[in-house]
Parts: sequence; C-alpha cells; structure tokens
Amino acid sequence: MTDADAAVEKLVDVFQHKIAGLSRVLDIPVVSVAKADLVAIALYVHSATGLSGTLSLQWAVDLRPMEPCFRIYYLFSLPGRGAWLIVAIDLPDSDRVYPSITPRIHAAKWYEREIRDLFGLIPEGHPDLRRLVRHEHWPKGTHPLKKDFAWDHVMGRQQGEYRFRHIEGEGVFEVPVGPIHAGIIEPGHFRFSVAGEPVMQLELRHFWKHRGVEKLFENRPLVDGVSLAEKVSGDTSFGHSLAYCEAAERLMGITVPPRARYLRTLFLELERMHNHIGDVGAICNDAAYALALAHASRMKERIMQLADRLTGSRFLRGVNVVGGTAIDVSRTQMDETAREVDSIGRDFGDLASIIFDNASLTDRLESTGVLSERTAWDHGVMGVVGRASNIDRDVRRDHPFAAYADLALRVPVFNYGDVRARVRIRIEEVKESISLIRQVRERIPDGAVRVPALSAPEAGLWALGAVEGWRGEILYYLMAGKGGTIHRCKVRDPSFVNWPAIQFAVLGNIIPDFPLINKSFNLSYAGTDL
Amino acid sequence: MFRIIRKSLKTGVVTGHYPDSAAPTPQVTPETAEKAALFRRSLTIREVDTGSCNACEMEMNALANPIYDIERFGVHIAASPRHADALVVTGPVTCNMERALKDAYKSTPDPKIVIALGDCAIDCGAFKGSYAVTGPVDRHVPVDVKIPGCPPRPSEILAALQALMATRR
Repeated sequence: MTDADAAVEKLVDVFQHKIAGLSRVLDIPVVSVAKADLVAIALYVHSATGLSGTLSLQWAVDLRPMEPCFRIYYLFSLPGRGAWLIVAIDLPDSDRVYPSITPRIHAAKWYEREIRDLFGLIPEGHPDLRRLVRHEHWPKGTHPLKKDFAWDHVMGRQQGEYRFRHIEGEGVFEVPVGPIHAGIIEPGHFRFSVAGEPVMQLELRHFWKHRGVEKLFENRPLVDGVSLAEKVSGDTSFGHSLAYCEAAERLMGITVPPRARYLRTLFLELERMHNHIGDVGAICNDAAYALALAHASRMKERIMQLADRLTGSRFLRGVNVVGGTAIDVSRTQMDETAREVDSIGRDFGDLASIIFDNASLTDRLESTGVLSERTAWDHGVMGVVGRASNIDRDVRRDHPFAAYADLALRVPVFNYGDVRARVRIRIEEVKESISLIRQVRERIPDGAVRVPALSAPEAGLWALGAVEGWRGEILYYLMAGKGGTIHRCKVRDPSFVNWPAIQFAVLGNIIPDFPLINKSFNLSYAGTDL
Repeated sequence: MFRIIRKSLKTGVVTGHYPDSAAPTPQVTPETAEKAALFRRSLTIREVDTGSCNACEMEMNALANPIYDIERFGVHIAASPRHADALVVTGPVTCNMERALKDAYKSTPDPKIVIALGDCAIDCGAFKGSYAVTGPVDRHVPVDVKIPGCPPRPSEILAALQALMATRR
C-alpha cells in the first residue's frame, strides 16, 4: 500500500459520510467533497494532527461546455515520498461563492485571489480580497479564464486605485520601488514600510507582465503547446517545456524512448547549472563583490555557448517535443559536454572556495534574510529556497521523471534559511548536476529519440506534469478538450509560491540588504504573472 | 589574495571569445542614423521590460559579462531613464505595463533612440492578439531600431548596436 492510499484510508475513516466521491486519476487519489465540508477536510489534510500535507497547488476549471459547473482542485503533498492527494469541490453555474481556506492554510492566499480574478469565483472569508492579476484599470466583471470570454477580447479601461496597507506612527515612512527597476530585471512593485533602518513591512504587487498565457493555451492542439510553455519563463525554458511534455505524454499515453529520457535529463541539468552559477555570482555582486560576478558570468556564458553548440539555442528551445526530443546528441558531442562540464566544475570549485574565504562577504550573507522552517512550511515554499530552510523536497527524487529513477542523486538540505544557506544549496546542486551529467554520459542507451504523438485523448481527461526546474517544482495541469485540443492548462512556476514568503524573509533586515535577499530567492516575474 | 591573483592569471583574457553573429544586421534608416551620430562614442542604455519572458533580459545581462564586455564599445547601462540616450524595450506591451512604458519614454531626455529587442517587442510574437497585450512597442512609442530574434543572441545585439553607432551623418 502506498503512502497516498494509507492517507486516503485515514481520511475516509474520519470523514465517512462527508466524502461525496473517491476516484483515481493516474495514481493520484481525488477526493470529491461538498462545499460545506471543504474547510474541515482541507484542514485535516493540512494539520500536523491529521495528514500533515502542504498545499502545493490550487486551481479552478470552467467545465461548463461539458458539465454545468466550475470545479476547484486542491493538490496536497503528503510527507511520504511521492504522495499526492487531491481534494475537489464542484460549484454549480449559479453559485459563485465557496469557503476560503486561507485563514487556516496560508499557502492558499494568492491562489484564491487568482481564481477570483480569473474566474469570478469568490472565496468567502478570505482576509484580503484586493485584486491580484486584474489591475485596477481592468473593467469590472472581466474574468478572462471563463469560457465565454474570448481570448482576443479587447479590454476597456476604468479608474481605480490599489489600496496598499499602511503602517502609521511617528517616524514611519514608505519606500515605493518599481514597477521599473534600476537593473536589467523584470517589472514588479515593492513597497517597504520603514522606521529608522529595519523593514517593518514589505508589500509586493506583481502581475505587471500578465500576458494571458493560460488563455492562449486553450483550444490549441495538445502537441502545439510546447512552444508556448517555453515562453512562460525564459530562464527555465527547458524545465517548463519538459513539464508540459510530461503532462501531455501522460495524458496521451505515450511512452518516451529511453534515449530521449536521458537527453532530457542532460539538458535539464545544463539549465540548472548555468542558472545556479549565474546566481551565485549575482548574489555576491549585490554584496559588492564584483570579482565573483565576473568569474561566474564567464562560466555561465561557457555553458550557454555549449548549449548553443548542442541544440542551436542558448536557451535549449525547440528541443522538447511531445513524444521525445527533436534532436540527438552524438557520442563526440557527449564527450565534449562531459569534458567541458568537468572543467567548469573545477573552475567553479576554485571560485566557491574564494567566496567562502572572504570574511567580509560571509558577514553580509550570514544571518541575512532568514526564512524560518515554520514560515517556509506554512507557505508551501519549495525549491532552492525551501531546501535552504530545511524543506526536504525534490521532484527528481520524489516523483522521478525523465531518467532520474535510474540515476544516483543526493539532495542537499540546510536549515539556516539565510542568504548564505541559499548560496550553499546552489553550489552543492551544481556539483550534483555535474555528477548527473557524468552518469548520463556513461549510461545513455542507443535508439530512437522520439515517438509520434498521434492519439487524441477523450475530452475531460487530465494529467499532471511535475518537473524539478532549477528554481523548484514546476507543475502543469493539462485537461484535454474536444479533438485533441487543450481545455485548460494551469501553469505553476515555483516563483508564484515563493514570492509571498519573501515578505517574511526581509522583516527586520535593512533596505540595503533587500537586493541581496531578493537575489538569493531569484524568482521569476514572468513565471508568476503568466 | 594570492589565490585570487592565481585564478586571474590562470583564466587569462576571455574577452571576445564568442562566435560571430550569424544573423544579418538590421538596417539603420537615415533619420535614425542622424540621431545616432550624436552617440557615436558613447551610448547609455536603459532597459525596459514590458512583458517579456525574461530571456531577452538574460541576453542583455550577458552583454555585460567579461566575454562580450559591452563597455569596451562605449555602451553603458543606466539605472534611470533620465540618464539614458536609448531605451531598449523587450516583450509585448501588456496592458498593465502600458502606462509605465509611456512614463519611461517621457522621462528619457531628447534626442533619444528607442530599440525594440526581440520578436515580442517587434510584433508581439507568441502573444499576438491576447486580451492582456495591447500591441507591439511601436504602437505606443516611436521605435527607431528593431533587433529580431527569440531571443537575439548577445553577439547579434552587439553587432546591431555597433552598426548603429558606426553610422555617420
């Protein structure tokens, strides 16, 4: 019996009459409940006295072309390796209100606001119902993910103002920053409330780059979604396209050839390496240690040029296709890759020891921007940031995809939760990536790299794709529509989950340390805004 | 200290170790050439992201690394549009960023050059027609130079900027 089965048994034991339906979708148990019982059941799944699951994703689907209802899903990650549990509620077409779980489960905070903006479903009892995605100038009643909203609708304008939370008192002042920032980075708005030096409150306002990605997925053929998935967050092009392919392949019942699975592992690790190395340099640069940036960005460039030589794209775009990979890597290229990666590993090892020998740099990094384990768990924080705060989760190990089930992998975890811990996680993961690439070179089997994707799944079926991108767990929920098209695609970049946590990591730090903390999280704005 | 020196000596000079641009350099119109003549020796850039997927930002950042080292051509990145000669705009203009783009354009002192970087900035790319996108950059502010690509490689951006700065009256 798996962990998930045990959990479901326990849940059924406690809530016998309240469970409306029990089904399984590709080994994930789905528990349907009535709206009125949702809070009690979700709380049981979440609380430490119950199943201790963290809320990993919450999303809604407009089912009205097939059934007269909206459905909201809650995906929980249970503590056992690889155990997932989904709780679902149905809202009939006439009913737009459902109970909010945010007052007890903080991780739902942004999801519920997002669902309200995109579907017009109102979470009753949510403590903060300001607009999230729809900025104030969007007209009232604009809910783009409802099926009766055209994807190319031309939006009007209205007047409105976002109400920031203010702290009042003697000597308190606010520092607004953005949406356009000083460096070459993406747009977002930060508002600090400061008394003297320490930050008392930070408010984030995002979604400046909302491009309507999830709507653009709808009605496309399933095999066509890959190129759009690559453009969700450019620095994770490969991770996103892989997560999309995993979901689409599971949905269409395709078995990817082993060689393609190994190639995907190789490219995903290359992507992880260049991003982690670049981040280590950039974090040091924000503490005014420019030497590290110069060396790290040089190594990052070497990897990107290597990717360009292997695939014709510095961002590994156009490599993934539903059913495998579009390109193959020859034996000589594989040897070159392994040599280059080894040499970069030695180069980077030198740099890492130089960085940690520097006492004044360590002074800036240590005990700065601490994210406690408790806060991280409450908010469902994941990826590099989570592992620096003792959250031991990694999709590569817990839900193996590509070729990870065949490879030896060590997941580094630290419990300090400060900037230095996040730097160390990155350095350890670069070492792991090099070891994985070496293993891929030794074990890669011969054969085809691609199988045709022909089958059209029945409308209403869905699948989940999960991939450990370099930032953390990327999730794709993909539901088939009529004739092999996409009915709904929910994209979740780890940034969406980790952004709210940054508001807690900066408390008590000074504003000059914010760039350092922000960089050590290094979250994507594009992946959040969609 | 000695380790840093040893590391630098071992690494040597890496500047210029990149493949040449494969893409044709975009044409510069006479009007743009006239404006650009002022900035022949030094061009200060402010980058504005209006909805890109952040790949263009990564390539702009790569221009500052020791391999491309864009500062050796007199190109600088400014922190504020008020210090800039040129705006580099990436991404389709989303309806939430429209105001901010116009404000940044107004804050840039005249004469100024606007460069649309990447396919999305030129014609909205994959996001064309979406409800959340209000059009390419030249629908909102006048664009002088277009650098196509998804994203353009740093060597291509470098070649286009050099072509712009090499123009004479």
